[in-house]
Amino acid sequence: MTLDLTIFVDYGPRILLGFWMTIKIVVLAISLGLPFGVVLALARRSRLRVLSWSALAFIEIFRNTPFIIQVFLIYYVLPFYGLRLPAEQVGVLALAAFGSAYFAEVIRGGIDAVPSGQLESARAIGMSDLQAMRHIVLPQSLAIILPPLTNQMLSLIKESAILSTITVQEMTMTALRVQGETFRPFEAFIMIALLYWLLNEVVAIAMRALERRWTTKPVEGEA
Amino acid sequence: MADKYLELIGITTRFGDVEALQGVSLSVARGEVVCLIGPSGCGKSTLLRAANWLTPPNEGTVRLDGSVVGHAPQGRATAAQIRALNGHRARIGMVFQQFNVWPHLTALENVVRAQMVVLRRDKSEAEAKARQALADVGLSDKMDAWPERLSGGQKQRLAIARTLAMDPVLMLMDEPTSALDPELVAEVLAVLQRLAEIQMTMLIVTHELGFAMRVADRIVFMEAGGIVEQGPPQELLSNPRTDRLKAFLDKLSLTTLPKDREHAEI
Amino acid sequence: MKFDISYTIDALPRLLEGALVTLQVTLVGFVLSLSLATALTVMREANNVRWAHRALAVYISFIRGTPLLVQIFLIYYVSPVIGLDIGPYTAGILAITLNSAAFVVEILRGGLASVPSGQFEAASALGLKGPALWGKVILPQTFIASVPPLVNEFTQVLKASALLSTITIVELMRVSQQIFSRNYHPVEVLLGTFILYFLMCFAVSRSAALIEAKLELRRG
Repeated sequence: MTLDLTIFVDYGPRILLGFWMTIKIVVLAISLGLPFGVVLALARRSRLRVLSWSALAFIEIFRNTPFIIQVFLIYYVLPFYGLRLPAEQVGVLALAAFGSAYFAEVIRGGIDAVPSGQLESARAIGMSDLQAMRHIVLPQSLAIILPPLTNQMLSLIKESAILSTITVQEMTMTALRVQGETFRPFEAFIMIALLYWLLNEVVAIAMRALERRWTTKPVEGEA
Repeated sequence: MADKYLELIGITTRFGDVEALQGVSLSVARGEVVCLIGPSGCGKSTLLRAANWLTPPNEGTVRLDGSVVGHAPQGRATAAQIRALNGHRARIGMVFQQFNVWPHLTALENVVRAQMVVLRRDKSEAEAKARQALADVGLSDKMDAWPERLSGGQKQRLAIARTLAMDPVLMLMDEPTSALDPELVAEVLAVLQRLAEIQMTMLIVTHELGFAMRVADRIVFMEAGGIVEQGPPQELLSNPRTDRLKAFLDKLSLTTLPKDREHAEI
Repeated sequence: MKFDISYTIDALPRLLEGALVTLQVTLVGFVLSLSLATALTVMREANNVRWAHRALAVYISFIRGTPLLVQIFLIYYVSPVIGLDIGPYTAGILAITLNSAAFVVEILRGGLASVPSGQFEAASALGLKGPALWGKVILPQTFIASVPPLVNEFTQVLKASALLSTITIVELMRVSQQIFSRNYHPVEVLLGTFILYFLMCFAVSRSAALIEAKLELRRG
């Protein structure tokens, strides 16, 4: 087998478009999934049984099933109830739902790691539960949460490849198309593998830098 | 005691099968300093934590200046009740054994944050208040320090400043010096003594009998979830009426009283 | 269209057959992955060849930095091009093995770190070395210390096996796609599939929690 370098030149731009789509989808999924993960983590701690049990059920169901079946189910269930969305939006929703379950567990772990006296002192001075969480507990959880949170973000990048199965035009889908047209699977897939790897490393390094900034000196408080 | 500023009425608290408090009633007058003493597990901390509803009792009522802080048993609290409780808590300062300063905020921010979040003071007002409060506890030179850089005594004084900046009408103190190294106890007691001198109403759980002698208007001795005996410090400590208080004092004089005598000289 | 549970029930026998294939593939992939990772771990500990350590590190980083789906495609589509005539099953299991092994190597590293160094010294004082030292003393303790994360990894492989549907392996996911592409009731069929996956994964992760509790008890 010889490497056909012209494939990289000819199809590189198309692959890069897919790469861009992958980034967009992951960023959107994180910006939806992370806040929802916070909500889930707080709901899980709620004294309202209905709330904590629904959150637990959501988290366990999404953590104990393959992402590909979640994607398929959401892809077919939404139109079943009359909601027709473009594949990209379905993909973002599925990835956000999947991610939020894992984010929730990471955040819950971070909240539990903050000594209970911190929440207590905030409540004793008159803060509401939410104010105490926002101003006192969550900022302290950040340093604990950040490393596992980074791992979950990286896993979302990788899981996003599965959205190719519902025809989302992200990078893996693009590579499948390219290999179908060129019959050069190695060039097509190694190209995207390297791009995924690169993205993974860049995000990992950036997050580690962020971690260092936040842990060497305590977090600057905003009011 | 005509003036009942803080009223704890029929407080019963159960932890599982254990009845930590058995229908305890206690009131504190405006400007009065009351010290709660007793062996560990007697319920004194639980009683203190009922006063701001931090550990809600199973039965009982707490009133502050005639207005209800909490009443039990009751169903799910309404939003209005929660707001009212938070309002009361903002005026009731609480100081913990473990300080519970907020490690992610500087000393100044520790004092500023709750003023802005709870009392909605603007930044400049909150900072002015905070500087004053920190000066009052002798921490003017530590404004920008992170709590991890502070000694135990400084942390506790910071925690006191944090509540003072809220303009409290009542202070609850849960063994404020128990977690401190012996040489740091005096600096915190000095701050508390100054608060007593300016007529701050205080309810203090403490093991420091010497300190209680000096600042308390009244000492309340608790044992096994109830109040056994109470009265002015001199009278109570020199002439205990009950055997149980006698036994408690005898045990203490063997262990901690010498330490307290040292503090009395400072 | 209304939800009709009878389609779920009708699909169930074939879905269960698919689930069986899923379990088989998972088991084979996991056993192979554990073997490969054990070999790599012993190699890493036993020699000090710089480039070998480097190569292992790159392998782990590549596997962890790229999607499993892309790894599956790479092996499945590329193997015939380079003259390797392996079918989808072999390609799929190879991909899963290579993927999982990279994670298991890291798990075993953690397990190995929990074996007290005194164990090495005591064993070599008794004259044990090489295979006997590893086989009799070190590896058993490493595995026991690694049981909880290994069970967790097993559920990861179980979930990962669903991706093999994309290269025509007829496991649970593929079976359900086949069924609903004929009866046009994807929601009912997928829901049954979803529940089967959940039951399998949940059973395994629950048992992991139980095993962990038991191990704690024994240690305590």
